[in-house]
Amino acid sequence: MGKGVPSYTDEEFVAAIRHGDDRALAQLYRLHYPMVSHYVLQNSGTEDEAKDVYQEGVMVFYEKVRDGSLELSCQIKTYLYAVCRRLWLKRLSEKTRFSGRLDDHEPFLETGAEADLAAAEERDQQFALMGEALDRIGEPCRSLLEGFYLLDKSMQQLTAEFGYTNPDNAKNQKYKCLVRLKKLFFTHYKEEESF
Amino acid sequence: MKTEADYYALFDAYQQGGLPATERADLERRLAADPAFARQYADFAALTTTLHAYGERLSTRRKLHAIQADMDAEAAVRQTGETLQTSIPTMPTVYISPVERKLRQFWGAHRATMMVAASVAVMAVFTTLLGLEWWRAAQRPSLYGYTVLRREVERIKRNQRAMNKAIQQVDGSKPVIDLNPGKFSGTGFALTADGYLVTSYHVIQGADSLLIESHDRQRYRAETVFTDVARDLAILRINDRKFAGFGRLPYSFKRGAADLGEKVYTLGYPREDLVFNDGSLSARSGFEGDTAFYQISIPVNPGNSGGPLLDDRGNLIGIISGRQMDMQSAAFATKSSYLMRLVDSLAAAGSGQPYNVPRTNLLTGTSRPKQIRKLQDYVFVVKVYE
Repeated sequence: MGKGVPSYTDEEFVAAIRHGDDRALAQLYRLHYPMVSHYVLQNSGTEDEAKDVYQEGVMVFYEKVRDGSLELSCQIKTYLYAVCRRLWLKRLSEKTRFSGRLDDHEPFLETGAEADLAAAEERDQQFALMGEALDRIGEPCRSLLEGFYLLDKSMQQLTAEFGYTNPDNAKNQKYKCLVRLKKLFFTHYKEEESF
Repeated sequence: MKTEADYYALFDAYQQGGLPATERADLERRLAADPAFARQYADFAALTTTLHAYGERLSTRRKLHAIQADMDAEAAVRQTGETLQTSIPTMPTVYISPVERKLRQFWGAHRATMMVAASVAVMAVFTTLLGLEWWRAAQRPSLYGYTVLRREVERIKRNQRAMNKAIQQVDGSKPVIDLNPGKFSGTGFALTADGYLVTSYHVIQGADSLLIESHDRQRYRAETVFTDVARDLAILRINDRKFAGFGRLPYSFKRGAADLGEKVYTLGYPREDLVFNDGSLSARSGFEGDTAFYQISIPVNPGNSGGPLLDDRGNLIGIISGRQMDMQSAAFATKSSYLMRLVDSLAAAGSGQPYNVPRTNLLTGTSRPKQIRKLQDYVFVVKVYE
């Protein structure tokens, strides 16, 4: 850890990240990476897999914090560890179909990680569907919607980019696209749910 | 009639609070009153929030990737930076060729298996060797018990030297001229008066030169005339200029078979001196039922091989050949009838000098010491040089 980087307590971390402080996020990320990487490497994982798992774990934490729905009953470190451990075990059992002999003799910690992970999984599914729907919607709807919702561009910017005569036209186009997206998204969503 | 897109514009405006108060109240009323319309609004809300969240997720992912990339870059810089700071040259790393690396990996992964395989192989080899040895022993059990009786002189020579030394020390006289005693020695006896001798084949086996030494220390060179490996017989002839014939042989050769239980004796050179031994004829067949041999109960020793076997009346009935180790005093002698048959066939072939085998026996009726006194001049040491 270099000098001049402010060190945060857990509460400060949560508060800073909730307000969108990217430096806090970066510092948190650096702080706990060695722990997770060590755990994954110890349990027949590679460096790249460790990075993947850790990013996913931090993502869960980050989204909970941004939602404001995080209820920490333990240290951030413990929470991240629990989340990443669950993620890694799951991935490992998928990878090898062999979940028996793992370094899984640690006491179960009530961190809320399990429930959070279940919610995160559902969201992942939703996002995957959204990504699929966006892939299928076609141009220029895709670029328009992505520009507006994903990249947070303003209506004026998009009007200029796509060559509409005025923002109202662009807006109308956007709504039409939204209707098509809705159809794609919800039909899939319903299908998935009916399984 | 409004299209769905128009409604979406309305909802969007509503969400962003851009509607006039009257329209807003109107919309809220409609949402409360019309369930289908309310569901349409809910769908719209779900869609837009999901889209927003999806966007957020993507940007977060990018952020985390950037952080990780930063970390990786820093780690790389720190590694090179450290070596610069301490100015310690990077330790020379041993270059391992790809082949060797593969071998090492293989060794690391399969070491245990290979160890087990190697020990199994070693055990298999030894088991096979031992098994073969055992099987061979089982195949021919009693050949081990058979010993031919030619004497290894080297072994005895050492003792002799030690004795010579002791004698010299005692009387201080000049050292005795050390004659080469040959490598092996056996016994032989005269077949005809003009220089043919008989001994066992195994005595002269592999011989380069032969030396005949008589009881009175006369030495003659000899050569092999004929050998019969199966009957263990060899016929020699003295080819020495100073040899003037044996004189009349006192014994005759028996052409028939000798009787079981007959008293027999032999003379031979198991030592440097002539040794007498006697016993009985115990069987008409030899080792493993070989009918060319007699079994006799005479204690014979290495060096006795090739010696004459005579019965009470002074008939030569056999030639000493060997003994069985695992039986008490079981010796074997080639039957004289085979020797006679061999001589006859050689005479018929007509090569070399004729064989004047003695016909008359001068020993019959005399006492044994007398017989031996006459006999001893016709029994020789056969010395073999390789």
